[in-house]
Amino acid sequence: MRAIWKRELQGYFFTPVGYVFMGVFLLLSSVMFYTTILQSGSSDLPAFIRLLSYLWMLLCPVLTMRLLAEEKQKRTDQLLLTSPVSLPGVVLGKYLAAVTVMLLSVVLTLLFVLIVAIYGQVYPAELLVCYLGFVLQGCAFIAIDLFLSGCAANQVTAAVMAFGANFLLWILDMLQAAVSSGFIRRLLSFFSLYERSEAFMIGQLSFANAGYFLSITAAFLVLTIHMLDSRRYRGA
Amino acid sequence: MIELKQVTKRYGAAAAVSDLSFRAPEGQIIGLLGQNGAGKTTTLNILTGYMPPTSGQVLVDGMDMLTHARECKRRIGYLPERPPLYDEMTVRSYLAFVCELKEVQPRAIRQHVREIMDVCGLHEVQGRIIGHLSKGYRQRVGIAQALCGDPPVLVLDEPTVGLDPRQVAEIRQLIRRLGQKHTVIFSSHMLPEIQQLCQRVVILHKGRLIREADMTALTDGDDSLRLRASIAGAQKELLPALQSLPCVRRVKTLPGSGKNMTEVLLECAPDAIPAPQAQLFSLLCGLNAPLHMLSQERDTLEEFFLRLTSEDDAAL
Repeated sequence: MRAIWKRELQGYFFTPVGYVFMGVFLLLSSVMFYTTILQSGSSDLPAFIRLLSYLWMLLCPVLTMRLLAEEKQKRTDQLLLTSPVSLPGVVLGKYLAAVTVMLLSVVLTLLFVLIVAIYGQVYPAELLVCYLGFVLQGCAFIAIDLFLSGCAANQVTAAVMAFGANFLLWILDMLQAAVSSGFIRRLLSFFSLYERSEAFMIGQLSFANAGYFLSITAAFLVLTIHMLDSRRYRGA
Repeated sequence: MIELKQVTKRYGAAAAVSDLSFRAPEGQIIGLLGQNGAGKTTTLNILTGYMPPTSGQVLVDGMDMLTHARECKRRIGYLPERPPLYDEMTVRSYLAFVCELKEVQPRAIRQHVREIMDVCGLHEVQGRIIGHLSKGYRQRVGIAQALCGDPPVLVLDEPTVGLDPRQVAEIRQLIRRLGQKHTVIFSSHMLPEIQQLCQRVVILHKGRLIREADMTALTDGDDSLRLRASIAGAQKELLPALQSLPCVRRVKTLPGSGKNMTEVLLECAPDAIPAPQAQLFSLLCGLNAPLHMLSQERDTLEEFFLRLTSEDDAAL
């Protein structure tokens, strides 16, 4: 697993993918920082991070699209699956590599926090909860998109499917408002990753919500492993 | 030692491989021969644990591939049809990665990679990006990759396909050298290659095993001595005379015969006394028909293979 994690992480930075991800992330977050904090003279970091969390929807597919789709397309999965590594090891190694790049970007946003800390007031506990929600949400998105990368036959399909899925999860909130049936509304709200993160963004540490994100993550990782395994049996 | 027991693989309703059993004894080079679509790649994919069989068993040193996947896979190095290369990596870092995958001790990796590059002749390209390498080098990196972790068994799927003649010769040389230390199983649809390299051959046709034999025993069933001759003279006179020779079993005229030149293939009893060649010589001297060319034809593996597969088709 460690070998795979290391290779994928190097892969992000041998190819433009890692730079594109971090570059776009930092560019967009700087713009957001400028508009929400600097321009309005506010020190409302939670509102800024809430806005940042929308970037996951856009950027996580960039991290995940090649992870599994490329292995299949280039048949390099034949190396992994005939090596003494387990399938969960392969999936987890890849997942953790993507999470590592995400965390690196998150660490870089601490620069913004530093700026606010110098010129204004920062509430560390509240901020920590915000960041926790932010990171957990990213982890869940990566797991979902990784699964879709495993479903897709090539990188482009993987990216488009992941964008679609992420966007769908976002508009679930809007969909809820349009639905009259209580059951369906509850069902939709259950899957809304953004609704779940609201609590974190106002500084409420909720174990239920943290558990929710972790469960989504775990569920999609397990799904990915099962899907890859069943594909081996079908020989597709 | 690898053994396949009644392995069947179905894709939906179609069986790619059915009821296949064979053993690869230690220290031999075994050729898996078959036309395209005969089930060679599927067989090798099952053998290496890439995909499980629909039914049947793969045993590596007596361990089942399904229940002891890790131990089994550690003993096998696999070069698939298309080498599993990461184009963005350098040769050296790629091989180091594969060593890690194959659980080589971290400290030993550098030395191990260097040895493998020696064997495969990759030193001059070790720092190059794999995506920039020529096809021949890519194939060598593919073989190097299979050697990582020093597995006792090497499985190579059509290792010489798509290479130029010089590269083919180099890869064959490499396989022969590897065969001294490893059990090598390799597939090919090229018969001369199998003839040159293998001690044992497994012939597949339409997913089924039609013959498994040692190379030397393979063509033993046919014991005729086959002579090809060009004789100056008219067919009309020569053919009856040739047929009258006691050692000749069959005479076949070949294309290329003309009015004054006869081309024939003679199937003779090999143990005739005097030797068929001598009998032929005396006969032709008597007829005053000069012999322009005489050569001995061997039943090539190719002919043997075609005969075998067409017999099999007829039986189906």
